[in-house]
Amino acid sequence: MQSLISLFNAALLAILIQNSIFERALGPNILIYASRKKEQVIGFSLMITYVTTLSSILAWVLDSFLSHLSFFSILMPVLYILVISFIYILSLVLVWRFLPKLFGKIKTYVHVSVFNCSVLGALFLNAQFGGDIAQYIGFGIGTGAGFFLAGYLLYIAHPRLNSELVPAAFRGLPITLVYVGVISLALYAFAGYATR
Amino acid sequence: MSTENSRPVIKGRPSDGLIRQNIVLMSGLLIGSVIAGATDFRSAAAISVVFAFITFFSIALCRFVPRKIVYTVRIIIYAFVSSALYIPAYFICNSLMGGEVIIRVGIYLPALVTNHVILSKTETRFFHLPYKSMLLEVFGYITGFVAVCMITGIIRDLFVNSAIGSVNVDVGFEIPALETTFGGFFVVGVLAGICRAIYNYNQKRRDSK
Repeated sequence: MQSLISLFNAALLAILIQNSIFERALGPNILIYASRKKEQVIGFSLMITYVTTLSSILAWVLDSFLSHLSFFSILMPVLYILVISFIYILSLVLVWRFLPKLFGKIKTYVHVSVFNCSVLGALFLNAQFGGDIAQYIGFGIGTGAGFFLAGYLLYIAHPRLNSELVPAAFRGLPITLVYVGVISLALYAFAGYATR
Repeated sequence: MSTENSRPVIKGRPSDGLIRQNIVLMSGLLIGSVIAGATDFRSAAAISVVFAFITFFSIALCRFVPRKIVYTVRIIIYAFVSSALYIPAYFICNSLMGGEVIIRVGIYLPALVTNHVILSKTETRFFHLPYKSMLLEVFGYITGFVAVCMITGIIRDLFVNSAIGSVNVDVGFEIPALETTFGGFFVVGVLAGICRAIYNYNQKRRDSK
């Protein structure tokens, strides 16, 4: 029961307080790309949730054995890339072999949704916060769910952010960044912010 | 799992990466590190050093990865090379900027290893150019990123700490919220708008001539 509560708390932390987009700005370029179509928002979010959750389990094992090393933080990128690559290859081979239709659908964006800052950042943040395996898994699930929340909020605003009403220079990326900034400002209320 | 053996040559200019195809302000790539990492001058400099080192040498080395290998595997090699290059980049940054800056920038330095200039732009652009032209163009793209990162860092340092690096510059007021993530989104969003306005204006002038 305690593990379930830990998992839930970590997921909530990743969605609202440490949201990969609104709070951490990890992978907004992927989000902007994904938010053009509803299917892409769902596809990217599912892929990110899947990879971050599985990677978090392996990362927990690595962290448990190696985090006491003084040079671990320097080796983290290499180790985590190996973890992500292992899950990426294994999953692709399984999907290619057993679900060829799904493989055809995801092959155009699978690499973008796996090798990005959101996934890698989730593993770094997990290592930073520490905790048991339930917290690692919860944070992994929450990262994907947080990405979906951000993606959906951007998807519903996409037509307006690209409309003729926005001045040409600000249409698209610039106004999207300002819009994400406004939502990020609203979500800051969950974490609290104090000026110096 | 498709293989791409052919390498059609495309035309590129080293100056493309500065404004016309600026990776941050025009393409929207790598904005995360600038938004959340470049909160002051020194942090921006640290991000610039690590990005420049990892990106330049990763692309220069990954060019030799045979195209016969499927992209599914090539992307893993690219990611592994860039993450391995993080190790010397870390020590260079540490000797130039000091450990305190690395701690302040936090996860945004190692997160640079999965940047889409290495993982995607290589496939769509750089690897279609002759080697020397490719290196020149990569240098242009890096310069474009460094310029945006440093400008963002300077603006935030100026309005948050009334300083640029270690030099005090009194602007008369402070905007402490600019160092937050939402402050970063606003700054980069406005910079992207200004960059596009300048580009559109120049384009119109050129067309009218």
